[in-house]
Amino acid sequence: MSTAEQNHRLPRKESTTPTAESLRSEKRSRHIHVADRFLGWIIPLSILLIWEALARGGILAPNWLPAPSVIARTIYEMAVAGDLWHHVAITVARVAVGFLIAAAAGTFLGALTGYLPIARKLLDPLLQSLRSVPSIAWVPLFLLWLGIQETSKIALISLGAFFPVYLNLSVAMRHVDPKLLEVGKLYRLNSFQMVRRLILPAVLPEYMVGLRSGLGLAWMFVVAAELLGASSGLGYLMVDGQMTGRAAIILGSVLLFAICGKATDWAMNTTGAKLLGHRAR
Amino acid sequence: MAVMVDELALNNPATTGGALEISIAHKTFATRQGLLTVLHDISLAIDPGEFVCIVGGSGCGKTTLLRILAGLETDYAGTVRLDGRGVAGPDLNRGVVFQEHRLLPWLTVHDNVAFGLARLAPAERTRKVEHYLDLVGLKNFQYAYPHQLSGGMSQRVAIARALAGCPEVLLLDEPFASLDALTRIRMQEELLRVWQAERTTVVLVTHDIEEAVYLADRVLVMSSEPGTIKNVLPVDLPHPRERTDHEFSRIRKSVLDEFFARGTLE
Repeated sequence: MSTAEQNHRLPRKESTTPTAESLRSEKRSRHIHVADRFLGWIIPLSILLIWEALARGGILAPNWLPAPSVIARTIYEMAVAGDLWHHVAITVARVAVGFLIAAAAGTFLGALTGYLPIARKLLDPLLQSLRSVPSIAWVPLFLLWLGIQETSKIALISLGAFFPVYLNLSVAMRHVDPKLLEVGKLYRLNSFQMVRRLILPAVLPEYMVGLRSGLGLAWMFVVAAELLGASSGLGYLMVDGQMTGRAAIILGSVLLFAICGKATDWAMNTTGAKLLGHRAR
Repeated sequence: MAVMVDELALNNPATTGGALEISIAHKTFATRQGLLTVLHDISLAIDPGEFVCIVGGSGCGKTTLLRILAGLETDYAGTVRLDGRGVAGPDLNRGVVFQEHRLLPWLTVHDNVAFGLARLAPAERTRKVEHYLDLVGLKNFQYAYPHQLSGGMSQRVAIARALAGCPEVLLLDEPFASLDALTRIRMQEELLRVWQAERTTVVLVTHDIEEAVYLADRVLVMSSEPGTIKNVLPVDLPHPRERTDHEFSRIRKSVLDEFFARGTLE
């Protein structure tokens, strides 16, 4: 449990009221939080420094493990030359389209099966059995049906990202506290109001978790899709780096994947935190 | 003519309404062993503005009875009438407070109290919410979230939410059972104050005999299997009542005697 969470729970445990004192201690814990994050930087930075020193000292072969500065320079040069942006953009676009399709389908089917028991009985067994097939296993079929162009890549990404969205929403909707639903009944909400005013807000945290893991999987499957045959994108850059024996390009692409994945995850998390407001879990 | 009278009652809920006529032949639940009768032969009239406490051991059907009054249970043999009109389901004219506060964690205190008031104009809604939060002493906490409140405060918000719809009857199901002893006593005084201010009919279910004698105009003692009303004991003591008072102790003992007479408790 992080310090921030701990602090969040303190007022409830002591059954005190939110006072100026508790707000102040919240601020104090935020300082501690920053210090914790600084601690987390020490080891990665040390490794980078040692790596750089070993590479410069000639102990690490440059074609095997180039120095961090060489990787940075490679990325920089590709960025200046302009083709890097093209590759990043196409990968981001694939992830975006694939994820949006997955989110839409997962939301629709998740809400349907979560709300209507009959829909769950009809659809859930099928979807669950499809889920147990590793998504990559569909690749040959996708290539056969959809060709090696964009469509098959998008299909793979969408399929991979679909399941966590679907599953989280469906399960969460089924497990909304019946005691809260009874409050809706007391105030005579109709089905539509029930969904909008009670069920959706109640499942929002789980739904956000589903979207977040779906997005993570979309990044995973874009790598797979691009490694398996692409003429552009970060995955293609990696294959290209491997073919031409340039480890710096492979490592640079890995780094860019990490940055892009982290950035979208952060954006998703921030949006989620905003939507969830101040509620405690 | 009768229709017109009904309309008048609708327009002035708090002043004229709140009379309950309960007549339940039986209420059964289907179990694996067959039908289980939880309530049997209950007939009861509650006056407008009266404070009634229902005491009974666990499993005597007192919560089921309250849920029937709330309109949450509709499958039973019998009728419940509120001011002459049959009760067919939940409605704003009956406010309900459960043992758990059941506040929505994603809404502020203000929005929780306003939950059932969606049909009102925003200004009117805010005025009502502030009035009832003020009544339960939580006006300064309207922007807090439920997780920031103590158990007693949450239950006060739940009472405000139940009152915000201007109900003729306030139904409470062991509302203070999960609170510590000191908070419980404070909440009982608070509830009396709210009742005296609002003049609604109150039906409170509890297993705490002292609580019942402290609050009620009449204490209904329920026995179990099947749940039925065993006796009705009036409490003719003025408020505020003194828990150590001789007469108070005498009434408490008579309720207790009802309990330990044969057939009430196992």
